[in-house]
Amino acid sequence: MNKILHINVGGYPFSIDDTAFEKLDHYLISLKKHFERSEGCDEIMQDIETRIAEIFQERLAGRGIVSLSLVEQAINIMGSPEAFGAEWSAESSGGEKEHTTTSDWGIKTGKRLFRDPQDAKIAGVCAGVAHYFGIQEVVWVRLAFALGIFAGGFTIPLYIILWAATREASSPSDRLAMKGEPINVQNIARKVEEEIDKITDNFESWREERQNRKKKWRG
Amino acid sequence: MPYLCPKLQIMKLENTIAQMKKGVLEMCILSILRQEGEAYPSDIIQRLKEADLIVVEGTLYPLLTRLKNYGLLDYHWKESSSGPPRKYFRITDQGMESLNTLTESWNQFVQGVNQSIKNQ
Repeated sequence: MNKILHINVGGYPFSIDDTAFEKLDHYLISLKKHFERSEGCDEIMQDIETRIAEIFQERLAGRGIVSLSLVEQAINIMGSPEAFGAEWSAESSGGEKEHTTTSDWGIKTGKRLFRDPQDAKIAGVCAGVAHYFGIQEVVWVRLAFALGIFAGGFTIPLYIILWAATREASSPSDRLAMKGEPINVQNIARKVEEEIDKITDNFESWREERQNRKKKWRG
Repeated sequence: MPYLCPKLQIMKLENTIAQMKKGVLEMCILSILRQEGEAYPSDIIQRLKEADLIVVEGTLYPLLTRLKNYGLLDYHWKESSSGPPRKYFRITDQGMESLNTLTESWNQFVQGVNQSIKNQ
């Protein structure tokens, strides 16, 4: 004897066994996690759900209740994330498995906490924290620290501890680890290029400034 | 060569082979759609399975979505007698152009690869 649930798969109503539902639910959640970072995740999920609904309808043939074995058949046809893991892992980063860096609660475990000297107001702690948690605007972290000063001042020792406990992201690979980008040859090359661009820019502006100053003296 | 446990070596090879397949999948999808005119994902899957390029359907949907977002494919809905309406995919003009470029590079690629394999 089994409990029966009524569910909506891809816009179609089905009656499904309790155990079968659990299996299907797990499967869809694991798929969603897998595609989370692919573009058009919602659309992909919708397509897959519609297809599953179709498989159910084809095979139910009026029998009424979706059983565990039918769910298993559908999963076999669509494939589990492990089954297309290898086929799919090269999605955007040239072979590095991106999704393995995401831990269960969505913080990238590949990341490390650094101080960011390029975006520093005092020592770059706030900027580093912002990178670590994927916060786009450092301002919010700074605001939180500033508010903390008024609310008991606990953020001042916190800031000092973080300052002491972290080091500056000085090399390109540090900066990648700070921002959570996978460290591979292409990414490091890109960082180095950015760095060189910046140095050239700095040099150019320094030269301009010097010429301007010379002109001033002459004038 | 450093010692690698056999399982690890197999995994690495599998990964390499998967990468090779993945590189040509988009070209194959476009090409199938050019031949068929329009196709339902299951039809495309069937062809890709026959060619031993893909095993499970789940792999195809992200690719179709991506190609569609790049404007190389579009789709329209068609009622189906046996279930929910289906998405039928079609190749766009832009897709045709991309396919030509891809096929051209593929042919060059195959020639080059074959040559370098032969010379070894």
